[in-house]
Amino acid sequence: MSEIGKLSLFLAFLCSCYAVGAFVVGLRTGMAGPLKSGRRAVWAVCGLTLLATILLVRALVARDFSYRYVAEHTSLDLPVMYAFSSLWAGQEGSLLLWLLILSAYGAAFLWCYRKRLDPFYDAVAMVVACVMIFFTSLLSFVSSPFRILATPPPDGNGLNPLLQDPGMMIHPPILYTGYVGFIIPFAFGIAVLIMNRTGTRWIEEVRRWTLFNWMFLGFGILLGARWAYIELGWGGYWGWDPVENASLMPWLVGTAFLHSVMIEQRRGMLKTWNIVLIVLTFELSIFGTFLTRSGVLTSVHSFAESDIGPWFMGFILISATIATALILYRKALLESENRMDAVVSREGSFLFNNVLFVALTFATFLGTTFPVLSEAVTGTKISVSAPFFNRVNVPIALALLLLTGIGPVLSWKRATASFMKRNFIIPIFVGVVATLVSIPFGLHGVYPAVCVFGAAFVISCVVMEFARGVQARKDVEAPVNPAALVHLVQKNKRRYGGYIVHLGVVMIFVGVLGSSVFQKEAHAPLQPGQSMAIGPYALTLDKVEDTQIQNATQTRAHVQVSRNGKRLTDMHPAKAMYTKSQQPMTEVALQSTAAEDLYLILGGVNEDGSASIQAYINPLVAFVWMGGVVMVIGTIICLADRMRLKREEKLLA
Amino acid sequence: MNRTTLRLILVTLAVVGCVAWLISSGVKATGMQYMTVTEIAQLTAPPRQGAFRLDGKVQAGSVDYDQRAPRLRFKMTDGKEAIGVVYDGLMPDAFADGREVVVEGSYHHADRTLHASKLVTKCPSKYEAEGLGKDRS
Repeated sequence: MSEIGKLSLFLAFLCSCYAVGAFVVGLRTGMAGPLKSGRRAVWAVCGLTLLATILLVRALVARDFSYRYVAEHTSLDLPVMYAFSSLWAGQEGSLLLWLLILSAYGAAFLWCYRKRLDPFYDAVAMVVACVMIFFTSLLSFVSSPFRILATPPPDGNGLNPLLQDPGMMIHPPILYTGYVGFIIPFAFGIAVLIMNRTGTRWIEEVRRWTLFNWMFLGFGILLGARWAYIELGWGGYWGWDPVENASLMPWLVGTAFLHSVMIEQRRGMLKTWNIVLIVLTFELSIFGTFLTRSGVLTSVHSFAESDIGPWFMGFILISATIATALILYRKALLESENRMDAVVSREGSFLFNNVLFVALTFATFLGTTFPVLSEAVTGTKISVSAPFFNRVNVPIALALLLLTGIGPVLSWKRATASFMKRNFIIPIFVGVVATLVSIPFGLHGVYPAVCVFGAAFVISCVVMEFARGVQARKDVEAPVNPAALVHLVQKNKRRYGGYIVHLGVVMIFVGVLGSSVFQKEAHAPLQPGQSMAIGPYALTLDKVEDTQIQNATQTRAHVQVSRNGKRLTDMHPAKAMYTKSQQPMTEVALQSTAAEDLYLILGGVNEDGSASIQAYINPLVAFVWMGGVVMVIGTIICLADRMRLKREEKLLA
Repeated sequence: MNRTTLRLILVTLAVVGCVAWLISSGVKATGMQYMTVTEIAQLTAPPRQGAFRLDGKVQAGSVDYDQRAPRLRFKMTDGKEAIGVVYDGLMPDAFADGREVVVEGSYHHADRTLHASKLVTKCPSKYEAEGLGKDRS
């Protein structure tokens, strides 16, 4: 079986090489035959990769320990669903998942454009096939998942307990769907340069692909944060860990692109800049894969240190060099059609949005790679961690929050003083009132105050936009009619979908503010019957007991929780001792409401029989997750808008 | 160059300047120097910088964990020298004798210990290719 796996990956490598060759021949000669053949080869890569993946999953589920990968990452007592998800527990499997999603994107792309005989789309597919060569050759020659052990062990090493979590079943595939998907915008960008493509249709196509990937990446990042919150047991969900940063960076640049592309569509400006952003997004997602898998930096996620680092660095260098050369070579194509009329305008605000997003990415990149950079420049290795990122990124993020309110309201070209007055007096007033109202609740410090002001300001800007939209529609009598709102959104999905995404962003800001500034913490060793207090809660230890679960022994504390004297519920923070690895694993108990989370950790049981309980109150943290869902809903509404695509179609016809 | 372009460039430069200031002051205020355990252990005078980041292993038998505080004390070694580490917090799950750890914190020369504000335990290599032998050729 392993021979078939190896062979299918090798054939996938050959097919990707063939596809690139066929596309080059077809594009140079203009013959339809080679192009058709190249498209088929891309489909073949997809099929072969799927076959290889199925073979590896079969071995994982069957616990066939003759496979090195299976012996490394599973064991006999591992539940079947985690045997399945150990496909992405290690480097080789993760790379295979990368290739699987990459080739699926290639096939999906060809399927979407199967009726278009325009060679431009073949050029796009050619770029995708080039990236396929890289990943198939890594999997065939450097990091094969089908290595066979000389003497298979009776049992495997087992899966890291941290990865034995339902969240880990969906977080990596969703994150990868976002990460890998940036290949399509990148391929479009490169194809435009190669083919010297004019026209605007491709811009809308790229925008839609990017929106799709961006949604998955953002959702995947939040799922990861959620996993960290539940599984890592330190009371927080974001630690500016290198791997978290790695996933955040392409998301940030992608966000910048989604804004500045609107300026290109509307005014024909910033063309070079947009191509640069597309290329950067893709390179950063490759860089993210590299960071996760190379072990260059210490991180909770870097489960393996390996030798594929130089390959990734080489790939990034080569692809970035080619992209830069093409951009310089096609300077004329990227000439701007218009000039900026005024600083205070939609274009102006989007430009600052871009500057700030890129600055945020740059600061994050610098902080993440600082040990390597400082050693190269000064000779001493300096490292920065969470305090650096909070100090640098929080003010930039707050500036972006304010722009979220201002930008969409400003008119194109030029916004007059009276326009500004009319549109911003009420939101500023609401923002100031919200800040003043929050002060008695313990709000202090400049940044938290700006955050509260910004959140209220943006919400009222968005509400006013909705109100104006409803008012402008004369066929509606009642101004605050839910049906009218739905109708409004339906009529202009892209615009109002965007506003909904912005509301989601505000919710995340509110959640982060609440859970970082107003977090409460308490710790106490409790004998059965004893209580501790945190905020309005009283926690009483009932008993501690040991139970046996499938592959671990679990020590569970039974804690009675009451709020302001009223009995609320029972919570069970626990510690599991995994039989195979003899590693303890904290299992957090969580009581969630929209207002706050009560988060309990069992530190351990002491010699005198008391249990150490660590408790946190995380106010408003639910808003982070809800904000993520709202962002996804808003993005789906944006994606449902096919108006512009149809208009472009008419222009072509 | 018209006035709008000039203004745009000026505002952009101002933003870039602010960010550059944030970064450089951030590094100065929060940067930690990487040191080896040996380098720290051989210091004869209190170091000028405050914050350090150290990689090393937990010395076997040195762990003293007061779960009730919670306070974790252990010795960290790079194979040659060892220094004491104090960490006020719960013991991480993967923490054990011989495990690789990364600590960040300030060094107190008087009692020759590192007061850690952050303690990361690297995942044990148990989950990697140890002890499985060679590939079949």
